[in-house]
Amino acid sequence: MTYFQAPQEVALSLGVGTGAALLLIWAALGAWEPGQGLTPARRALSTLTGEDLTRLEHVLTTGPPSPTGVPLLHHCDLPVPMPRTPVQAWVESLWGYEETLLGLADLHPNMFAVPPRLDILHEVAIWQKNLKRISYAKAKIRAEVRGGGKKPWKQKDSGQARHGSIHSPIWRGGGIAHGPRGPTSYYYMLPMKIQVLGLRVTLTVKLMQDDLHVVDSLELPTSDPRYLLDLVRHQCGGDSVLLVDVDEEMPQNIVSVVSDLKTINLGPAVGLNVHSMLKHQTLVLTLNTVAFLEKKLLWHDKCYTAIYPFRLPYSDFP
Amino acid sequence: MAIFSVVVAVVASALCPGLKACGLRGRPACGLHWQSQTQEPSAYPGIVESTEEYKFVERLIPPAGILEPPRHQSYPTPSSWQPPKDPPPLLPYFIRRSRMHNVPVYTELTHGNRQMTVIPNVERDIWALQKDVEEFLTPLTPVTQVNEVTGTLCIKGYFDQQLKAWLLEKGF
Repeated sequence: MTYFQAPQEVALSLGVGTGAALLLIWAALGAWEPGQGLTPARRALSTLTGEDLTRLEHVLTTGPPSPTGVPLLHHCDLPVPMPRTPVQAWVESLWGYEETLLGLADLHPNMFAVPPRLDILHEVAIWQKNLKRISYAKAKIRAEVRGGGKKPWKQKDSGQARHGSIHSPIWRGGGIAHGPRGPTSYYYMLPMKIQVLGLRVTLTVKLMQDDLHVVDSLELPTSDPRYLLDLVRHQCGGDSVLLVDVDEEMPQNIVSVVSDLKTINLGPAVGLNVHSMLKHQTLVLTLNTVAFLEKKLLWHDKCYTAIYPFRLPYSDFP
Repeated sequence: MAIFSVVVAVVASALCPGLKACGLRGRPACGLHWQSQTQEPSAYPGIVESTEEYKFVERLIPPAGILEPPRHQSYPTPSSWQPPKDPPPLLPYFIRRSRMHNVPVYTELTHGNRQMTVIPNVERDIWALQKDVEEFLTPLTPVTQVNEVTGTLCIKGYFDQQLKAWLLEKGF
């Protein structure tokens, strides 16, 4: 037996006292939407909470779909640590309206079913917004304001308050004592592991709220933008879609369609970031993208702290 | 005087005749060559590039990824390490090992006198773990703090040795 076994179904039972807390969590994560049967979100919830949701009648309207006859198109390359099981998502197709569901894809729980750390999500989103910020505001101090070098009147016996310059901060038209000083950079870097955790939390949130769609490839039958808009309205039901593929060379049809449309965007997997994923309502990943992300993000679970930057050579990386 | 004249004669004979030896450092003056060089062309080997010795550099470069611990004949190992039980225990909570495959029980000391034991990496029902820890440390009734968002349990006081042994016994 190996140290980490292949994914297995382990049904564990929770205490009754946590049922109420779970219901609140499910309500927050949108488990009460009219989804028929065991959607991927509820399947994933069952692995996260460890409870077999098929036993709870008040959540489901119909029974779970039978797994026999449904091909598994993607399984986790890296081993899934023991008590967790992979979460699953339907693999869809953009080719036509009829052949929508092609099969199931196994998604690694350490990427698509992590605890929903909204504080980390906030941290990473704010970091992404602010790290490029340079504020160009600058206010002149008393030395930079034109003029005001001479003492306006003599120190004593003039009957007026004593002053040294007509551009001191207490004067009208004077310099600003504590204003913004020159271009200020708000650049900072979060630890790499926090950035990676932000990506994982966003992917989890997208899956749990039924906003993630896995697609076999981004090939379209036509280069008509209305086709993709119809398909998106029909299948995804969101206003904006982010399509992600691994290579930079994508099929010509989708590139030409997306360049005409404003709310549907296309990008490579290396450019996946928390802000884009949250800005677009729906996220569409290809199977190759899922494999690429698994390889890249899960590596951080099993790496030493860098003794020198990772861009310099290590014996087993890249 | 005789010796000096002999030395001068030797130097003069070594040089090509006619000119004084007041050239650059290591070389005689313009156009001249040391007689030894004109007589025997030296076998200068040139520069040889070899990449065979690079293996001595390569074996010094450290790895970036943490390896799985090897299989031992018996546990605990001489350094008192034990792998987690396979399959994991059927409890409402699960405590994941650290990336170095150790039991995650850590001590903290702040303000010089605030002693805490922290158990991170707790998954699923952390309240059941809190109840079990309080039962385990019963006569002392420690103060515990649960953080559900991050999955950590803090206990007032140093109990790391007992808790580590207790978690290993449970099979985490």
